[in-house]
Amino acid sequence: MAARKKIKNQDLLLQQELRFEQDVVSTRQRARQLASLLGFDAQDQTRIATAVSEIARNAYKYAGGGKVWFSLQSAAEGRSLFTVQIRDEGPGIAQLDRILRSEYVSPTGMGLGILGAQRLMDDFRIESAEPRGTLVTLAKLTPRTVAAEEIARITAALAQQAPQTALEEVQQQNRELLGALEELRNREAELRVLNSELEDTNRGVVALYAELDEKALSLARANDVKTRFLSNMTHEFRTPLNSILSLTRLLLDRLDGPLTAEQEKQIGYVRRSAENLSELVNDLLDLAKVEAGKIVVRPGEFRVADLFGALRGMLKPLLAANHSVALVFEPADHLPPLYTDEGKVAQILRNLISNALKYTEKGEVRVAAAAAPNGTLVFSVADTGIGIAPEDQERIFEEYTQVDSPLQRRTRGTGLGLPLSRKLATLLGGGIVVNSQPGIGSTFRATVMREYGGPQEAAYVPDLPSRLDPTRLPVLVVEDNRETLFVYEKYIKGSGYQVIPARTMAEARRLLREMRPIAVVLDVLLQDESTWDLLKDIKTDEATRHIPVFVATIVENEAKATAFGADAFCEKPVDRDWLLDRLHRIAKQHDRKQEVLVVDDDEVTRYLLRSALARTPFTVVDAPTGNEGLRRALADRPGAIILDLAMPDVDGFVVLERLKADPQTRTIPVIIHTGRALSANERARLDEAVAIVPKESDSPELTRSHLLDALARAGITGTTHQQELTP
Amino acid sequence: MERIPILRMGPFLLVTIQVDMHDRLALTLQDDLTAKIASTGAKGVLIDISSLEVVDSFIGRMLANISAMASVLDAKTVVVGMQPAVAITLVELGLSLPGVRTALNVERGMDQLHRALGGTEKRGVNEPARQDAERGDIAQ
Repeated sequence: MAARKKIKNQDLLLQQELRFEQDVVSTRQRARQLASLLGFDAQDQTRIATAVSEIARNAYKYAGGGKVWFSLQSAAEGRSLFTVQIRDEGPGIAQLDRILRSEYVSPTGMGLGILGAQRLMDDFRIESAEPRGTLVTLAKLTPRTVAAEEIARITAALAQQAPQTALEEVQQQNRELLGALEELRNREAELRVLNSELEDTNRGVVALYAELDEKALSLARANDVKTRFLSNMTHEFRTPLNSILSLTRLLLDRLDGPLTAEQEKQIGYVRRSAENLSELVNDLLDLAKVEAGKIVVRPGEFRVADLFGALRGMLKPLLAANHSVALVFEPADHLPPLYTDEGKVAQILRNLISNALKYTEKGEVRVAAAAAPNGTLVFSVADTGIGIAPEDQERIFEEYTQVDSPLQRRTRGTGLGLPLSRKLATLLGGGIVVNSQPGIGSTFRATVMREYGGPQEAAYVPDLPSRLDPTRLPVLVVEDNRETLFVYEKYIKGSGYQVIPARTMAEARRLLREMRPIAVVLDVLLQDESTWDLLKDIKTDEATRHIPVFVATIVENEAKATAFGADAFCEKPVDRDWLLDRLHRIAKQHDRKQEVLVVDDDEVTRYLLRSALARTPFTVVDAPTGNEGLRRALADRPGAIILDLAMPDVDGFVVLERLKADPQTRTIPVIIHTGRALSANERARLDEAVAIVPKESDSPELTRSHLLDALARAGITGTTHQQELTP
Repeated sequence: MERIPILRMGPFLLVTIQVDMHDRLALTLQDDLTAKIASTGAKGVLIDISSLEVVDSFIGRMLANISAMASVLDAKTVVVGMQPAVAITLVELGLSLPGVRTALNVERGMDQLHRALGGTEKRGVNEPARQDAERGDIAQ
């Protein structure tokens, strides 16, 4: 117990357990290290370490372990006593007295250890109380004073190099490993949870994707259905609308008796409503076509001046209601001809002009055209109307958008015109931009390529085909002036004839043999040849004598012409009606019947066609079904057939096929008269028809002129002379 | 299991103790060494303890035991490189290492072994070399 007290009173440097064999080694190493730190020389360090080793081994070997305290005690003369105490709980040491008196000799060397340790140290005490363990105290005087701060430093140094046996290290590493493993296990569990969460999310995402795909598909289908619906519906609308328009026109023309003023007003309203509806339907149809990508550009050559003329006529009715606005077309004669889709350009301009008229209360709407860089042409439509606010200038090109304004409320519209125009202009390789100042006016500029899709017919006069178009009757024109040739081509365009140009005598002779023209138009003065010889040759040759020759010349020389056998003489410039009249008369001799068979299931259409052709040389017979039509065609052999496509029993496609398959009816020209927009495929099936006349024209005059054109093309002639038609 | 390596050098075995051995390691070395002498028929063993700073009674006895056992197995043992402090402590401890030949360093230890080998041929077994006395032999 005294020993314990002592321990408490000392400056404890280090305390160590003696549990494993390795601890004996580390204890003696510590002893040596401490001795060195406390200033003992090498010999004393070894002495102390050896003594501590002996006692520590005893404690481990005989008591199974114990505890070691290293401490510092103050001693005399300012020196300290380095004290090592080793305590065990073993059975104690028997015959301790004998050992200490050196009387005992251990068989294993024991005893030598205790005695030796006693000799090596300055102080040695051993307290053994059987059976209660042993306390051995070893001490040596330090060679010098050890200051308190030095003790602290030593303690700190020792704490830093924590005494660790290899085993402890292994144990420590084991613990760390176990910790790491545990952490890994936790991580893994966490990952598993996360993974399953992710899998769930993934499943959700996949499901969402599938749903989205489905949605997209159904949207695409809906859009497709919408487009088809629009296109079909508008067609369905068109037929009855056209009927209404035509019938009201008939009524307004008083063809069936006089109207009272009130009736006229009412019918006028009916007609105007039908016109509005028709406009809406047409816009919708066009939009549907553009959206479906079905619009086909049909380029052709035309002059801007002609287009302006046509537009002026077309838009006159719009002006009538508004006297304070002038519609001005600037001259466009200087512009080269365009090669693009005339119908679409006209549609764009019509839209822009009618828009301008709508929003202009007074002043003028000015239409002009000018060549622009990069092979484009810019049409401008400038008005002095209400203008468009900058923020609305792009919005007006969106579908169904109308800018709110007092004028707007008065004028109606579909909101489709501008978007459609822009789409069409884009189609023609250009676009539409607007420049506007509210209250001052707007200028719309539509750009189109001067030559659509490249220079296919770049020449001023198209090189006329040496190939014969079987549906048109060839007319040989012997003429060396390109402009004049172009004029002829223009004259008989759409009339069922085609110009075969010959610029020299030799060419003329060759073409005469090859083409077998129905007539020859002859300029008697070519560049350096006189064609009188040619005329003489034609009229003396048995093979060509029957071919009528019209002499056209700048010199009044009718007598000579007649003498040489010319069938007609005309001074230049040749009059269009004169020429067509002669040609028609010749064509008439080609033995074509004047009877026209109308095959259509719609009673109104049959009625309208009948009235349209009423005052022409044609007689109309009709058939309400396809089968009936086929029967009549075979029985009557009409001069031409006007054929509807949509019929309940046999449709027009089949009727056409059968007509063309039967040799007896194959030669009868067929004119398709339909309200349908035709696909390229359908057009191909109708290739054998001479013409396709749309049912959309809203006036009997237009329908009639279309039909007459088509009939002329079919080679049977009424005549297009207005004068002859009006009673 | 840690072990003190035993190197073979011609007819001799060379052991360099460079760690502070605990008791079991010392006993293991004792067993390994005797087994190696038997298996190789080595004629001499050189134990270098220059790295040891503490040789207590147990290790001292172990060295004496190895020496005795090797001798029985017809091999000479020389302990070389003992630090002076260790030598002094051993003496103070009362341990005299009877029968253990010592040399100051490895070179001299090898010389001793060679001579002993040569001497064996000339003078027969177990006859100590003549110059043994002059070589810091701790044994009295």
